[in-house]
Amino acid sequence: MSGDAQMSGDAQMSADNPTHPAAKGEGIGARVRRKEDARHLMGRGRFVGDIRMPGLADVAFLRSPVAHARILSVAKPQGHEDVVFAAEDAPGVGAIVTRSTLPTYKLSAYPPLAKDKVRFVGEIVAMAYAPTRAEAEDLCEAVAFDYEELPAIVDCDSGRAAGAALVHEAWGDNLFLQTSFDSGGVDEVARTAPIRVEKRFRTARQCMHPMEGKGVLAYWDFQANQLVVHTSTQVPHMIRTGLSETLNLPQAQIRIAPPDVGGGFGYKCLLQPEEVLVAWLALTLKRPFRWIEDRREHLTAGANAREHEYVITAYADERGKLLALDAEVCVNVGAYSVWPFSACLEAAQAGGNLPGPYIWPQYRCKTYSVATNKPPFAPYRGVARPGVCFAMELTIDAIAAAVGREAADVRMENLVPASAMPYTNITKKYYDSGDYQASLATAREMIALDAVRVRQQTGEVDGRLIGVGFSTYTEQSAHGTKVFASWGTPLVPGYEQATIRLNPDGSADVKAGIHTIGQGLETTLAQVASEILTLPVSKIRVVLGDTAATPFSTGAYASRGIVMAGGAVSKAAEKLAERVRLLAAHLMQCAPEEIRFENGAVEGRNASLTLEEVARAWYLTPEVLPDGVETGGLEVTEGYKPDVDTGLFSYATHAAVVAVDPATGATEILDYVVVEDCGRMVNPMIVEGQAYGGVAQGIGSALFEESTYDAQGQPLASTLIDYLLPGPTELPKVRISHTETLSPFSAHGIKGVGEGGAIAPAGALVNAINDALKGFGATVNEIPATPERVLDAIAAARSAA
Amino acid sequence: MNAITLTVNGRRVSAQVEPRTQLADFLREELNLTGTHLGCEQGVCGACTVLIDGKPQRSCIASAAACDGADIRTIEGFDGDVVMGELREAFSANHALQCGFCTPGMLMSSRDIVTRLGACSERTIREELSGNLCRCTGYVGIVNAVHSVACGKTARGGAVAVAPVEAVAEVAPAPSASASPSLALARSVAEGAAAPAGKEGWTALSQRVHIPAPPAQVWPALKDMNLLARCLPGAEVTAFDGKALQGRMVVKFGPIKAAFGGDATVDFDDAAQTGTVSGAGRDSGSGSQVKGEIAFALAPEGEGSALDVTLRYRIAGPLAQFSRGALVQNLVGHLAGVFAGNLSAQLSGAPMAEAPASLSVWQMLKAMLKGWFAGRKS
Amino acid sequence: MKPAAYDLTLATSLPDAVAALGAHEGAKAVSGGCSLGPMLNLRLARPSLLVDLRRVEALRALKRSDTHLEIGAGWTHGEIEDGVVPDVTAGLMARVAHGIAYRAVRNRGTIGGSLAHADPAADWVSTMAVLDARLVITGAGGTRLSRLGDFMIAAYTTSLADDEILSAVQVPVLSATARAGYHKVCRKTGEFAQAIGAVVLDREAGLARVVCGAIEAPPVVLEATSAALLKGEPVERVADEEVEAALAGHPASFRAMHRAAVARALNEVGA
Repeated sequence: MSGDAQMSGDAQMSADNPTHPAAKGEGIGARVRRKEDARHLMGRGRFVGDIRMPGLADVAFLRSPVAHARILSVAKPQGHEDVVFAAEDAPGVGAIVTRSTLPTYKLSAYPPLAKDKVRFVGEIVAMAYAPTRAEAEDLCEAVAFDYEELPAIVDCDSGRAAGAALVHEAWGDNLFLQTSFDSGGVDEVARTAPIRVEKRFRTARQCMHPMEGKGVLAYWDFQANQLVVHTSTQVPHMIRTGLSETLNLPQAQIRIAPPDVGGGFGYKCLLQPEEVLVAWLALTLKRPFRWIEDRREHLTAGANAREHEYVITAYADERGKLLALDAEVCVNVGAYSVWPFSACLEAAQAGGNLPGPYIWPQYRCKTYSVATNKPPFAPYRGVARPGVCFAMELTIDAIAAAVGREAADVRMENLVPASAMPYTNITKKYYDSGDYQASLATAREMIALDAVRVRQQTGEVDGRLIGVGFSTYTEQSAHGTKVFASWGTPLVPGYEQATIRLNPDGSADVKAGIHTIGQGLETTLAQVASEILTLPVSKIRVVLGDTAATPFSTGAYASRGIVMAGGAVSKAAEKLAERVRLLAAHLMQCAPEEIRFENGAVEGRNASLTLEEVARAWYLTPEVLPDGVETGGLEVTEGYKPDVDTGLFSYATHAAVVAVDPATGATEILDYVVVEDCGRMVNPMIVEGQAYGGVAQGIGSALFEESTYDAQGQPLASTLIDYLLPGPTELPKVRISHTETLSPFSAHGIKGVGEGGAIAPAGALVNAINDALKGFGATVNEIPATPERVLDAIAAARSAA
Repeated sequence: MNAITLTVNGRRVSAQVEPRTQLADFLREELNLTGTHLGCEQGVCGACTVLIDGKPQRSCIASAAACDGADIRTIEGFDGDVVMGELREAFSANHALQCGFCTPGMLMSSRDIVTRLGACSERTIREELSGNLCRCTGYVGIVNAVHSVACGKTARGGAVAVAPVEAVAEVAPAPSASASPSLALARSVAEGAAAPAGKEGWTALSQRVHIPAPPAQVWPALKDMNLLARCLPGAEVTAFDGKALQGRMVVKFGPIKAAFGGDATVDFDDAAQTGTVSGAGRDSGSGSQVKGEIAFALAPEGEGSALDVTLRYRIAGPLAQFSRGALVQNLVGHLAGVFAGNLSAQLSGAPMAEAPASLSVWQMLKAMLKGWFAGRKS
Repeated sequence: MKPAAYDLTLATSLPDAVAALGAHEGAKAVSGGCSLGPMLNLRLARPSLLVDLRRVEALRALKRSDTHLEIGAGWTHGEIEDGVVPDVTAGLMARVAHGIAYRAVRNRGTIGGSLAHADPAADWVSTMAVLDARLVITGAGGTRLSRLGDFMIAAYTTSLADDEILSAVQVPVLSATARAGYHKVCRKTGEFAQAIGAVVLDREAGLARVVCGAIEAPPVVLEATSAALLKGEPVERVADEEVEAALAGHPASFRAMHRAAVARALNEVGA
């Protein structure tokens, strides 16, 4: 497979970004096989649902069948009153309230068990427990839920309309947040700009679909006097904070011990009501309880993402040089603000990121975060950027069409050039490094744009239409303290910490509070430690997430894991190496600075010792050490953050060739290339895996995935037959080309890579579809670009013609 | 509880199981074989794939009790298996797993592909793997891993056709009037701006019934709720005082059966010869709720009468939450025909056609509603 | 979600199964359970009793006459795909079977179960219509035969009585020169069809039949198109018109997909 990926990395290194040492051993840059694999391949992974415990009870939830209603009564089944709980039975459960200091932001109180009103289909009305899930579901069915329906708000327009029903009465309107940005000169440009393009775009509401849904198991540990919560989460230390707030329990009495997590993608970086309720049961009844989300719950009740609407007016000169962007963005964020990211993250990111990798001299944007009677909004892979990238990339193509030029040329001329780096864009995004134009040029070459244009002239034997599309984006990764503090939400990352310990047998333990959710941190953090200590990865044990065993971390989100935790491990390992040098210098009778690490050993002037021998001296034969030895020992905890809080900007260009069948509306992806740069790659195999997986999800957004709702807020996609996830025949054999432009601001020049793949596909694919349809004059402006939407676009263009 | 005995990973297991316990839950909860994962319980994602009698099958939709006597093999039963060993090695080498949740099911299907088909194209591998969903890898590593193991392998011996028993052909059925069903396809429409207040977004279906009897004769009969109920198979009036009506409706749609109990209010305008029946019902099983209104207006038509019936409905809860609801529209067309036929027959004194079992206006109600909600989104 | 409680009986003969179905209100027959299983898990299907047919030997019978092959209802899609069930339909049935859902479903789901479920988008529904197969239905009073068009009344709705079982299908033995076309419009491999076109052309037997399926209703036989096909006349236009007429009232995109499916199936037989 690696044959599919082209390594063209070092060609991009420049004087500003010094060439890194070639990967050696199993350190940074090596394609090391993953430490995580063995247990999963044997069927011995341990996910929440795999944990066995005597007396474990299963919890099920009665969920609202209607989107908006006043609760009249919740009557528990006779004879089962003690195992069924409505809001009044759980007075110790506090509402989930997410603060933010953003102006105009309104607070929502999200009661884990609905009080007074239900605000979306799937909101929890009651819970029951029983020895099996089936029996717990039987009990939920026997609950009589009486309610008075209220008008449901399902879309942004009706939510913003005068006199609309109110999701939260006290607010007076349905707006969580309004933001605006205005560089001041848009109107002036509008008066004179030769080219004006107006577009409307929509992106569908989606579910995130980690293959393992959410799950939580909680019990009371009498020995530790702690509530122990095994939860499938990306942010274990934050969950401890959140549970402490909602249960009014000191954090010292809560331990979060996350097991294997079967994918996250943002869905598992929230404090979920089910998490609060299962923890409350365990705390209150001192028994083990669990809840395992099923797919129907995920599809109809779990947090969603992506539902955006854009109204864009763009101005350019006759050559397509961008002059000004005037935008309005509405995000349908659902009923409640999630903890800790709030309902605001999406719109805040959308407004800030819409200009993308382009130079926009003037920019104005208003955003509206509209409360509706739909499930809350979670920050899904890429957060707002898949939406803004889609809108921006289609806008660029529309401008190119308006000036009659090749879209790739117009794109190229408007990208921030490498010579301008580091570059501060119109919204004060600080692009740290990169050559965006080079990524586009490489993608253009790889996708063979000229050959596609020739092929389009000759036409296809089968009557299908060929189209090519591009999409270039930046991925702000590992943005930090100041950025999050400006939003004033409960989560503000500071210094990421890691602990590293050299054990008596010469092996090392790495402990970090971030968690592994499939992204391979057990391996890549070991590689970072290996880079410095030169131990093989197999001798470095990585312990993640458990609040009882690891230093605090805000968790795995925002493409920050390898930048932040990797940086912390690197710093801790350097410190440990210093300590080892001091000991070894004494043992080998040389100066500490003469000592080098090589193959898991330290080399002195005339001698060498294995790390095991050094560790043995410290732990087991301390009599060989001198007086006045450094007493910190062989265990170090260090904190780290990059030199800037503004994030390290990875970037890529995606390009696609599609064949659109004008008879059926079907789109087949014939070729797909990714030219990406995430700085120094710790493990290229894992970077590629992130890109492949991100592209797969982006293709899902572009062509398949949609959580449909009816006018009353009933979810219509409750099974995987209704909600289509792309499978192996729907996804192309993606070709990847890497460049490595190091960040000047991070340890080892690393940038984040987790989200990027998911950002660009909709832009590239829909641009390709519209390129294919240009003969009809048809354009698709909404994703997913289903066969029906493609056929409707063709029909609309024909009837307009 | 049913007593079962089956073989799991070569070990004989006897147990008492509830019939509703699916094989996956039995393996996981009773036998602690937690390598078989539950990803959807809808038979789609493939995470629960195990071998049943040597063939990969979904353990989330196979009742454990129905597997009595079967030979089951789970991911834990392949520790020494050579082909599985090659696949495991290839999966790791090709980065074919990230979170690992789909991996056991993916390996089950992969081993079947490699042993059944031997060396095969990447396209074939992708097709054969399409019953296993992965959300992390984009399948790139998985396809490459399977391809690398399949290379050089030969397919297991081809399937042997079973020889049929020679038999005399049975008498052919009488040809139907038309080879294709000619159903009146009543199409529901969404209520637009013209919808009555409070009924915005409901689904409405209008049907005209021709009755060979004058309005003066038909109108009194129309006010007979028991008669109307008889025209709506599955409907039952349990109490009616001229205004308030209590009833029960049985809804059957394929294997889905719901019993809605509810109340309705009946209004007649004798002068205009119009009326409405409006009410709401709840299916205690699914917790789904349905609201409906039947409005009718009688008018002379030649020697007889024309009855315009408009049904308006909406449903909430699990029964409403599917996107393939458009299917139901077809049933609606059929049922509307049955209803109209029965009504016409009743009001004109002709014998009523034999009604299909458990068909009801509530069926139409639900059906049309679902059809509209789901089917016609752009 | 887990199913609501039900009882389960493992029938070993057709009379046993029929008797069990007749004796219990709310009883339901099940074979592979690939359609019923998800509905059970979602608690949409809530039978009082499931009568499992997997051990009924009679449902695994294969009988051959001069004109027909009778395939017991209990044969799986996978067995038809693999040719364990011999093919008499110019390869049509094996090919259709290969395109049903996924291998793990094909290994369990049966042809009889699929037909009795009567999902308009299911492949066997359109296939039996285009083959003009006879469905063998067994009840307390013996067996009766039905054509697909009579058997399937509407989506998910059949003429099966509560105590009847679809026990076999009789498919016609096509001539050696017969040709079949089948085109399915699907958003994903294994996904329900959005549109189906199915064609059988057996000039030796004087037979041509064209079916438009997956129309949210029982499939329709395109009579004029079939006649034109048999005569060797151009079919493209008549097929388009017939599909348009059959699907009047459906959205344009829906009609377009069905026109394409039928046209491509016709193309496969050289029409």
